[in-house]
Amino acid sequence: MNLEHLFTIRRMSKNLMEDIFDLASSIEEKPDSFAEKCKGKILAALFFEPSTRTRLSFESAMLRLGGQILGFSSAKVSSSSKGESIADTFRMLNHYAHIAVIRHYIEGIGEIAKEFATIPMISGGTGTQEHPTQALLDLYTIRKELGKVDDITIGIMGDLLYGRTIPSLLFGLAKYDNVKVHLISPPALHIRKNVKLRLEENGLAFRVTENHKEVIDELDVLYVTRLQKERFPDPTDYERLKGAYQIRKSDLRKAKDSMIILHPLPRVSEIPFELDELKYAKYFDQAKNGVWVRMALILKYLGVD
Amino acid sequence: MNEDKNKLIVRKIENGTVIDRIPPGKALRILEVLGIDANYPYTVALAIRVLSKKMSLKDVVKIKGKELTENEVHKLSFIAPGASVNIIQNFEVQRKIQLEIPDHVEEFIKCLNPNCVSNSHEPITSSFDIISKKPLILRCIYCDRVMEDKYLSGKL
Ligand SMILES: [Zn+2]
Repeated sequence: MNLEHLFTIRRMSKNLMEDIFDLASSIEEKPDSFAEKCKGKILAALFFEPSTRTRLSFESAMLRLGGQILGFSSAKVSSSSKGESIADTFRMLNHYAHIAVIRHYIEGIGEIAKEFATIPMISGGTGTQEHPTQALLDLYTIRKELGKVDDITIGIMGDLLYGRTIPSLLFGLAKYDNVKVHLISPPALHIRKNVKLRLEENGLAFRVTENHKEVIDELDVLYVTRLQKERFPDPTDYERLKGAYQIRKSDLRKAKDSMIILHPLPRVSEIPFELDELKYAKYFDQAKNGVWVRMALILKYLGVD
Repeated sequence: MNEDKNKLIVRKIENGTVIDRIPPGKALRILEVLGIDANYPYTVALAIRVLSKKMSLKDVVKIKGKELTENEVHKLSFIAPGASVNIIQNFEVQRKIQLEIPDHVEEFIKCLNPNCVSNSHEPITSSFDIISKKPLILRCIYCDRVMEDKYLSGKL
């Protein structure tokens, strides 16, 4: 198999996604049997924007596979602040590592990888454009918890405009059959036009609402993201909306027994601590699943059996 | 009648470009895009809202001494789709181009997304797929953002 790069879920087939999930689930069952798979392989982790979760999750994944890691975090220490182009960075990387993870605030760099990278490159988050590996671990978690992704109803709530996870998750959901989506956000943070057009092209049905309480009884999954204070020009708007986009225990009374709550983390106040011990709360399992999924991705993209 | 009227305005030119069947009212915008103003040293003939042979209204522009670049043809195709460009040499039509909105364009317009890689210092040029011609919608092949009619009209 010759997989190129992963910058968008749009270009990933449902088959490949399911393959990755199957592999991730075998890894989860018996992680030790994969401990030597990437011996002698190097993963470069280049984070031009700060990250804790994604970077640590990828590094943990590579170390658990017996590989090694090199890299940096935050643009300050990279040579991009000296004006080096991304194309040149990629060309150089070809000689330093066997696979690379890149987070960058610049969007559209997947096309640069296509042209200049000879090693497989995986996006660890690209501007507000996409965060494909987060979406894969989200879908893996849904599959694991509900036994399927087809035929589900999911509510996606919070900052749908700037959250880079959102387009990836929606593009991933669009590969499955009969998925119904409720987009729950303030109008100013609704999904971008290009994402909407892609969903229409791919036939993913979605409805829009401002209030999660109106739809919570229909949901199999409630996917919550945080509102970011810095996105609001007027801080009083943020304060006002913060309360409306918070899940309260009482909101869950009408929820299905089997409903799960997911969150890409970090959370602020949108999911209060008191929800953590409820059966619905799956966001910490979700984060743990990230390691299995990223291990599977590294194996697939390196072409290791 | 109508033939005579046209002849009054547009005498044949020896070398240059004739743009015919322009959607009515777009002729001035075409001159603007081509950078032709009062300082242009040669003859320019302009007809706005004349009757075509098919009895509908059109604009016509004749520009002596002007040959369009590929880029200019691209731009004009967005402003005046359906118009025809005739390149004239020695009073003869050398080449006829039917202006049509292409399926893909490169370079001539910038992506509206300031964080798009096509706007940063990289060895690539801007590149767009035209995903709808009416209304006009361009999609950046890099960042996936779309640019719509109302944004584009000020840029083209
Ligand atoms: Zn762009």
